[in-house]
Amino acid sequence: MIYLDNAATTRMYEEAVRVYNEYAVNRFFNPSASYQAGLDIAKQLNEVRNLLLKKLGAKKGTIIFTGGATESNNLAIRGSMRNGKYEYVFSVGEHPSVYNVAKELKNQGHIVHFIDLRHDGQVDYQKLEKVLNEKTRLISVMHISNETGAINDLAKIDMLRKKNAPNALFHVDGVQAFCKVNVNVDKYNIDFYTISAHKFHGPKGVGALYVRNPSSLKNIVFGGGQENGFRSGTENVAGIMSMLDAVKKIDIDKNFEYVCSLSKKMTDILESDENVEILQTESPYILSVGFKGVNGETLMRALQDKGVIVGIGSACSAKKAGNRVLESLGYDKERVKSHIRISFSEDLQLQDIEKAGKTILQTYREIWEKVK
Amino acid sequence: MRNVILLRFGELFLKGDNRHIFESMLISNIKTKLSSYDFKFEKTFGRYVISDYQASLEDDIVGELKKVFGLYSLSLAKEVDADRDAIEGIVRTIDCEGKSFKVSVKRADKRFPIPSMECAKILGGVVLDNYKTASVDLYNPQIEIKVDIRLNGKAYIYVDEIKCQGGLPLGSAGKGLLLLSGGIDSPVAGYLIAKRGLRLEALHFHSYPYTSVEAKEKVLSLAEKLCEYVDNIKLHIISFTQVQEEIHKRCRPEYMITIMRRIMMRVASRLCDKYDLGCIITGESLGQVASQTMQSMAVTGAMANRPVFRPCIAMDKEEIMKVARDIDTYDISILPYEDCCTVFLPKNPVIKPVASKVEKEEGYLNIEDLVDDCLEKEEVVEIVKPKQ
Repeated sequence: MIYLDNAATTRMYEEAVRVYNEYAVNRFFNPSASYQAGLDIAKQLNEVRNLLLKKLGAKKGTIIFTGGATESNNLAIRGSMRNGKYEYVFSVGEHPSVYNVAKELKNQGHIVHFIDLRHDGQVDYQKLEKVLNEKTRLISVMHISNETGAINDLAKIDMLRKKNAPNALFHVDGVQAFCKVNVNVDKYNIDFYTISAHKFHGPKGVGALYVRNPSSLKNIVFGGGQENGFRSGTENVAGIMSMLDAVKKIDIDKNFEYVCSLSKKMTDILESDENVEILQTESPYILSVGFKGVNGETLMRALQDKGVIVGIGSACSAKKAGNRVLESLGYDKERVKSHIRISFSEDLQLQDIEKAGKTILQTYREIWEKVK
Repeated sequence: MRNVILLRFGELFLKGDNRHIFESMLISNIKTKLSSYDFKFEKTFGRYVISDYQASLEDDIVGELKKVFGLYSLSLAKEVDADRDAIEGIVRTIDCEGKSFKVSVKRADKRFPIPSMECAKILGGVVLDNYKTASVDLYNPQIEIKVDIRLNGKAYIYVDEIKCQGGLPLGSAGKGLLLLSGGIDSPVAGYLIAKRGLRLEALHFHSYPYTSVEAKEKVLSLAEKLCEYVDNIKLHIISFTQVQEEIHKRCRPEYMITIMRRIMMRVASRLCDKYDLGCIITGESLGQVASQTMQSMAVTGAMANRPVFRPCIAMDKEEIMKVARDIDTYDISILPYEDCCTVFLPKNPVIKPVASKVEKEEGYLNIEDLVDDCLEKEEVVEIVKPKQ
């Protein structure tokens, strides 16, 4: 099997599995316990926090461990809401774990602005500038699009915020970016940054939220007061330690360069057919590819029978009809339907890509012959 | 005193000499439905009595009985010896405080010394003595206390009559083949026809990879839901991909659906021959879509070698949806997976197909081979009711 849906989830590093096992079986103690074994675990969690802060380029702030990106995004958005006539700004390209929270805010009567995307998949900065004002409480924009691989210009958004919305907090959903590109939250004055372990070879069910200034956030669940009260519930120690192991192992620059070569190889093969359309974006990790006249879902299923696994957009919403993100780029329904998502990881080999690329083209042509 | 469930059957009353055949089927179906419970079954004239079951399982047992075709209604009753003191003792426990009530007595056993009307008066007096704010209302009472004195020397006292399915015992009409698509209508058609005593097998066409594995799973779930009423369904799953590709390649697009459905009918007929099934059932409703016009049904139905039953034919979509909700298939049916009828959908399908023109288009296909191929790739899944 050649797995090309790494934006949905990645294979865990074997060493990360071993670490998980060690903390699940031998060092299973509750970090809130007052005896030595528990205190030791709490100390280790703090070391993980420090390492994550460093990796995020944060000189100050804190890390809150969560049950994954959906929880981190909910915490950042709902935890930063305040009563009063504030405004909230999101891009239409956000993952459902942000987009649906935004819709919920709107349903509750808050003023919510959804910013369109440009044809290249980035947020439309001109439209963003227009809605920002002194009442803007939160701007939430993803770092890298899970659908298209487009990288949003965080420096530009920060600049627009400083100019037009000085009171606004800045949340970045970094799920497809963390450990794939270098992140510097201090440079762009990011207030909240979401990460998810299973997107970079860590375990599922573990994530974190970077918080620059804890006083800007309120907890949304209540309980034992873990994570400084921001996320009650016993920490997933084995998951967190295993995530740490994955973070340590990753060499971002080396992987980036390597994945660029994979992505280029795939692009070269697919673009040899004039009916194939690749959405050009900056992240080499994700390619959104359209196959004229063929339904992407049909192609995905035919490919799985040949041992090539590709995605058809966010796995969290793949079961729903349509694709909000591609539609927002101005694609008509037929064009949206024709797209699949190919996403890479550094554990793929060039010959895998060559084989998969050829299989994809051949399978597409077979189906096209039958349905044209 | 025992807690019992009194069962009444409906249309079987209309049966003459064959009544015993229908009754024995109904009894056998009841016992099958309750096979995972301990209980005692008795037959008295005109009633069945379920007793000696675990009290905590009473709701579950009633739930099962409400899905038995051929039962008209049931009541949760107290059974006592046909003795005035015993009957009065039970009537006294029925809380009528602040309510209007009526007592009705049926005395099948004339050995019981007090005539029905007088007995009702006496028992009414018992209620009034016990509940000071109760009042008698013979025409529109809030509570109707029914006392049934049967020939077995027992009296049954109950308040509510719970409606059951009605219809005829499952299997009494034979067995048919339901075309099950995954939409809202076909499971409803299956339920409605099963209610008239027909056991079901089902046929599903899929078009993988144009349709998803989930679409197939959805049909398995629908069949499972129907099994709550029909106990088990043999589901025949057939790949229709090649047929659709061939039609798409060789025939005019506006005839896609007509030809597809004619081939479905041919495959269904062959399965009926193979498995000895007496009819074909579809979820068609007149005029709902292009393929469900009178003319379309004429040219597709002509390919069937058995009667084609269409229980939803005169129902509005709303009415069909209501039944789907009642039998709990609606939420599964609306899951958004494409079925094979939505793949290769032409923009302008022919609404009033003419047989000669359809036959001409079919002339471009090797229909016999396509049907043979379909049958060769048949997959059979035995579906049973999921365990609680």
